[in-house]
Amino acid sequence: MKIKNAVICAAGFGSRLGLDMPKCLVPIGKHKLIYYLLGLLKDIENVRIVVGYKEEEVIEYVKSIRNDVIFVRNPQYASTSNSYSLYLGSKDIQDGFLTIDGDMIISPDNFTNFIEACNVGENRLGLTPSKTDDAVFVAVNDNDEAVEFSREKISNLEWSGIAYFANIKMSQVQNYVYEQLLDKLPIKTTTIDCFEIDTPNDLNLALNEIDFID
Amino acid sequence: MKKTAFCFDLDGTVTKQEILPLISKKVGLHEEINLLTDITLKGLIPFETSFKLRVKLLSSIAISVVQEVVNEVVLDENITNFIKQNKENCFIVTGNLDVWVSELISSKLGCQSFSSTALHTEDKLDGIETILNKGKAIDKVKLNFDKIVTIGDSMNDCSMFEKANVRIAYGGIHNPVNTLIKLSDYVVYNSKSLVELLENIKNEN
Repeated sequence: MKIKNAVICAAGFGSRLGLDMPKCLVPIGKHKLIYYLLGLLKDIENVRIVVGYKEEEVIEYVKSIRNDVIFVRNPQYASTSNSYSLYLGSKDIQDGFLTIDGDMIISPDNFTNFIEACNVGENRLGLTPSKTDDAVFVAVNDNDEAVEFSREKISNLEWSGIAYFANIKMSQVQNYVYEQLLDKLPIKTTTIDCFEIDTPNDLNLALNEIDFID
Repeated sequence: MKKTAFCFDLDGTVTKQEILPLISKKVGLHEEINLLTDITLKGLIPFETSFKLRVKLLSSIAISVVQEVVNEVVLDENITNFIKQNKENCFIVTGNLDVWVSELISSKLGCQSFSSTALHTEDKLDGIETILNKGKAIDKVKLNFDKIVTIGDSMNDCSMFEKANVRIAYGGIHNPVNTLIKLSDYVVYNSKSLVELLENIKNEN
């Protein structure tokens, strides 16, 4: 299936990482983090990025890589959740959309697998072996469908922040994205090798382990 | 179904060139008009003051000559097509003078418009009658529409953004001014993406 729309949420403060820059602008290898995400999305026609914290810097950098991105502003980034950013970024999109967090490093091969696994009318979550400090664990059944989310370690897999929402609309309710998925379970899943950079520890782990960034 | 109106700035938004600098080439005042346009876009002098000065500088040119130049202005193809396909819901809201741009709007876009108005004696421009307050134009559009979407790039678009429901800062030929970005919901730099977004907003209800 060809995915037409993608939304990257990059509005947040990144307070847990403690750098004076948005997480999507953290230097990784030769470029900044979001450069690699845009590379993964190069064949997707409509890319949106939700911006908030230091939006001018994010817009300036992204625009120099790809000028057809639609920037969606979330000026209340400091007091709103990621699900609200995703709501702003996707509320007018009629078809399905891919969503990824703007603070992720993803294996290109695995990402391609995820895209290829997506089907029309079918929601899909990207899961990853749990490793972040603040994981949302996901229990899966024998058909690899997500059946439960938890902050407790109920499995060795965590929700990666990557998903294809064929028919799930985000609401304005202020909570975590996974909480808006509870009444949609079970949801099909694909396992992806990726890193989310929430804390200095996450960043160190990613920089030590990744071999797919030049 | 909710009725949505799309209100576009003209210069540098629908047109791919600023109109007044183009006219000024005709009378060898390009440098002066460019400077004024530049500092106005940067918000260093108010649009009204700058516009009065620019009109004064260009008032010696016959209206018909200006119209000829204006009719040659390159329009953005994607935006023009959207406007033509949604004539009933689209409005051009421009600070430019009616006698200069109304022909271009009616012949190439075919939608309704709000503009500043000129005093003229046949082909001779005598001066400015009114300078459009874009916010007041939006008030009028609101009488017949439930949802207002505004698209612009300059300081004088702020008053129309303040009255709108969905605000798109559009940097087609230069960066939108920062104040306008701070009033906006979306920031877009590519006309194909802009039209994609407009189509989505149109079908949202």
